[in-house]
Amino acid sequence: MIAITIHCLGAFRELGDCFIVEVSDVSVASIREAVSRHLVEINRSDLDGVLKRSVFAEGEELLKDHVTVSGHEVSLLPPVAGG
Amino acid sequence: MDLFARNEGERYLCGLIDGPCQTSDLDVFVQDPAHGAIAQFFGVVRNHNEGLSAAAVDYDVHPELALKALSELCLDVCSDYPVKLVMIHSRGLVRVGEASVVIAASSAHRKDALGAVSDAIDQLKIRVPIWKKEIGPDDEQRWLDGHSLRKD
Repeated sequence: MIAITIHCLGAFRELGDCFIVEVSDVSVASIREAVSRHLVEINRSDLDGVLKRSVFAEGEELLKDHVTVSGHEVSLLPPVAGG
Repeated sequence: MDLFARNEGERYLCGLIDGPCQTSDLDVFVQDPAHGAIAQFFGVVRNHNEGLSAAAVDYDVHPELALKALSELCLDVCSDYPVKLVMIHSRGLVRVGEASVVIAASSAHRKDALGAVSDAIDQLKIRVPIWKKEIGPDDEQRWLDGHSLRKD
């Protein structure tokens, strides 16, 4: 298994600055599923709807679910609300 | 720490600053002897939202991605309109009555400056990785929903 650090932003800050999930492959889709499982484990399934509308980023690149990450850290970006 | 980006031709300046934005002297960045119009927009934290009272907004930002998105947005607006443009957004705590975003555009004639400012704030709200945590008068806090950046 591969450990991926998830950096939290916006509503996910309620989970802390970051948390770690373990995945069998480094596709964004797998990371998303692992985060969803993590939310169940910590009794925060209320954030699953936000997760479905969120995007992962590695460095300055927004990632689609079919791509794989090259490192072991990603940011989790919920829907944006600037202004 | 404040972060700024500007293009080589100095068509635009954008940035993120800690705390509220200053609303004075914004026009200095866009003044041009060939431009006869300057339009400005200040987004100010209001004391109510969705039926609830508000005392402040705490803005969370992904600094690198937000500055990149602001720069791309400025480039897009400057390609759509013949303007000079400045866009600054706050991060951290901004209280009621204080500005969280300031935008100014100058152009030869008013239509382009007004259009550029209007498009800039519309696009900022749906493209730039910034999040609002609204803080109520009794310190109750809630994250506001927004626009998904997900493309798949």
